[in-house]
Amino acid sequence: MVKEIERAGIAVVHICTVTPISLTVGANRIVPAVAIPHPLGNPKLSEKEEFSLRKKLVEKALSALATPVSEQTVFED
Amino acid sequence: MEFKLGNIFIKDLQFGSKTEVKDQTLFVNKDELTEYLLEDEHLASVAIDIARPGESVRIMPCKDVIEPRVKPEQDGGIFPGMVSKMFTAGQGTTHVLKGVAVVTTGQIVGYQEGIIDMTGPGAELTPFSQLNNLVIVAEPAEGVVTYQHEAALRKMGLRAANYLGEAARNLTPDETITYEYLPLHQYHEKYPDLPKVAYVYMLQSQGLLHDTYFYGVDVKNMTPTFMYPTEVMDGAIVSGNCVSACDKNTSYHHLNSPVIHDLLARHGKDLCFVGCVITNENVTLLDKQRSSDLTAKLVEYLGVDGVIISEEGFGNPDTDLIMNCNKIENKGIKTVLVTDEYAGQDGTSQSLADGSPLANAIVTGGNANELVTLPVLDKVIGNVEPAEVIAGGFKGSRKDDGTIVVELQAIMGATNELGFNKLTAREY
Repeated sequence: MVKEIERAGIAVVHICTVTPISLTVGANRIVPAVAIPHPLGNPKLSEKEEFSLRKKLVEKALSALATPVSEQTVFED
Repeated sequence: MEFKLGNIFIKDLQFGSKTEVKDQTLFVNKDELTEYLLEDEHLASVAIDIARPGESVRIMPCKDVIEPRVKPEQDGGIFPGMVSKMFTAGQGTTHVLKGVAVVTTGQIVGYQEGIIDMTGPGAELTPFSQLNNLVIVAEPAEGVVTYQHEAALRKMGLRAANYLGEAARNLTPDETITYEYLPLHQYHEKYPDLPKVAYVYMLQSQGLLHDTYFYGVDVKNMTPTFMYPTEVMDGAIVSGNCVSACDKNTSYHHLNSPVIHDLLARHGKDLCFVGCVITNENVTLLDKQRSSDLTAKLVEYLGVDGVIISEEGFGNPDTDLIMNCNKIENKGIKTVLVTDEYAGQDGTSQSLADGSPLANAIVTGGNANELVTLPVLDKVIGNVEPAEVIAGGFKGSRKDDGTIVVELQAIMGATNELGFNKLTAREY
């Protein structure tokens, strides 16, 4: 899906846990997620802490979307 | 140092007034076993049945398959740290009731368990159709939550196998196989000219009913560690994995782990098998990086020329497999990978979720997406309703005439990644 949307000229950020697979399939902007069963959350955290985690992930993805890249890039911390 | 495995061949399984082996038949006192299993207050009821090779019986959804064994020199059962007191597995002597197994069934959340057909095309695809199976359907007590239910069912199967294993305690085995295990430096001293080989045994540990236990330790909480090959033969490794029937390793697979047994059969002849590194398949990238780093370090420390790496399950564990491969190959040690494939029903899709140019020697257990049609059988132990929601099933799996069309994924052990099956694929 990432590749097909990019083929249509729209930049994509792939938020995913297993970044090596994302690199293998050819995503250009990759943001590491939390864990496979819960990529965008963490059930061990309190509601407030989890909201903060989710907000940071989305902000990081938006910032990656606005960052020019010349090769496949994983946006580490 | 030696470990002796004594096989006692069983040709038939019957209910009887006493649990014992007579003339190659295992008789089981159903009431006594039922009472023993219901000592666990998490269980409300158990129903015990028998399914023999060739009978028109379908068992589904299956959770685990377990082979009965006993250690004649010590009290209590096997599976140390799990359902028996702690001891170091794979030493001394063990008796095996060969040709029988305990199969556990019963509804758990998700229904993601498999099918064992005792006859027909489905039977060709599962090794368990060749065994005399004592099938136990268990229902949980009221108020038991899903994780307790899974644990109760898992332990019930192991306890039932230990109960049957007791019948082998005072028997003389039909055949005894002796395995050698040595401290590492002695392997190198004793076999200086043979290539040194280790085995990286990847264990499913994704949580949420995808778990494996090592001496009772949930392996998602451990770092990679060393294991003598014979330890599996006393149940050091136990399955708690309910998911993807075709390529999960049941406890029966672990006890009879083919890679380990085949390497031991060649040990001292054309290779020197120095032992196993067991590792996990966790759900965060950091865990995957940590486990593969430490696995590669342990393999390097063993001083081997090559390793065999086997995977359990599919999808993101493909990345654990490839990370292990890359990191070990980069230390100058050759690898052979054992996996299976999800190449689509027509076999044309990408087989693994991850890959590497260094993964240049791979053995496959077959394509789990291939379809098979299972005819109506006379008797079902368990429940056919989950056919459309188990992994490998889909909407429309259950036909009006009663046949079931499923992917091989739904058949217990069909594409097993330890090579405990008949399928493979070759390139010509």
